Formats: sequence, structure tokens, C-alpha cells
Amino acid sequence: MSLRKQTPSDFLKQIIGRPVVVKLNSGVDYRGVLACLDGYMNIALEQTEEYVNGQLKNKYGDAFIRGNNGNSSSLYYCSL
Amino acid sequence: IKQSLVSFSLFLFLFTELVDKCIGSRIHIVMKSDKEIVGTLLGFDDFVNMVLEDVTEFEITPEGRRITKLDQILLNGNNITMLVPGGEGPEV
Repeated sequence: MSLRKQTPSDFLKQIIGRPVVVKLNSGVDYRGVLACLDGYMNIALEQTEEYVNGQLKNKYGDAFIRGNNGNSSSLYYCSL
Repeated sequence: IKQSLVSFSLFLFLFTELVDKCIGSRIHIVMKSDKEIVGTLLGFDDFVNMVLEDVTEFEITPEGRRITKLDQILLNGNNITMLVPGGEGPEV
């Protein structure tokens, strides 16, 4: 548990390639391996699963999540 | 307009200085939606996107649901309404 000062961009560099959960404000979770992302928080995931309450859809291969999600979205990356 | 830009920059400076003092300690974040986050502040950026650790997420519903996420999260600053340094979160 490192408590050094860590900015969001450092954090993002650190978690690329790791399994993450992207949680949107709409209540939908996307779990997958973080392939890449950009300054607008557009995200590319691999082996993605979509969770709405229970498990709804399975997506394999690449998933692209748009950063600006229309009506205010809040993205959390939980590095699993 | 220049005057208000200067005032705003000053406000932003004072605000980020205050948030900077919270790094390493617990912070309670209230979102625009019915959601609150409590965690240890690791860092933030100019847009007040925040990196937190040892996080508990509270959804303020009729029953006050709670989700605990360990490890680290990046919280998008778009939806943050209020920051409470040292805050415990809502009473559940």
C-alpha cells in the first residue's frame, strides 16, 4: 500500500494491461483488461463483460467505451 | 472578464492547495448523483479527477447500500459535488 503522491495519469499508466472495472453513472459495470485509454477517458478493453445488476452481456475481443458519456458519467477504475 | 479570470484562478489555486493537504488522509466525496465515496486520497489532477485507495462506495437509496472496493480507483471529477477532508461518509 504505497502512499506516495500519485496523479491520475501515473495511475493510468500503471493499470494498463491489468483487469479493471469501469463503472458508469448509469449503473452499468464493464469488467475487462485495460488495453488503452486517452486523455478524454475513452477506453479500450479486452475480454469485456457487461454487468447490469446481474450479468447481462458477454463481449470478447475489444470493447470501446466513449469517455464523454452523454448525461454526466462517472468512471471508476477498480484495479482488481 | 480579466478580473473574473484572475479571481477564478486564485480560487482554483486555493482550492487545489486545500485538496493537496488531504493527500494521504481519508476523504469523503459527494457526487452529483446519490452516491458518496470514502477513501484515502493518493493524488489528483487539474480537473480534480482523484486517485483513491481503500475505497467504500455508498449508494444513497432507501436502504443505503454499501459497496467496499479495496485497491485503487480513479474517480472522474466530472460528477464530484463536494469534498470533505477527513470525512467518514454517510451514516448507515
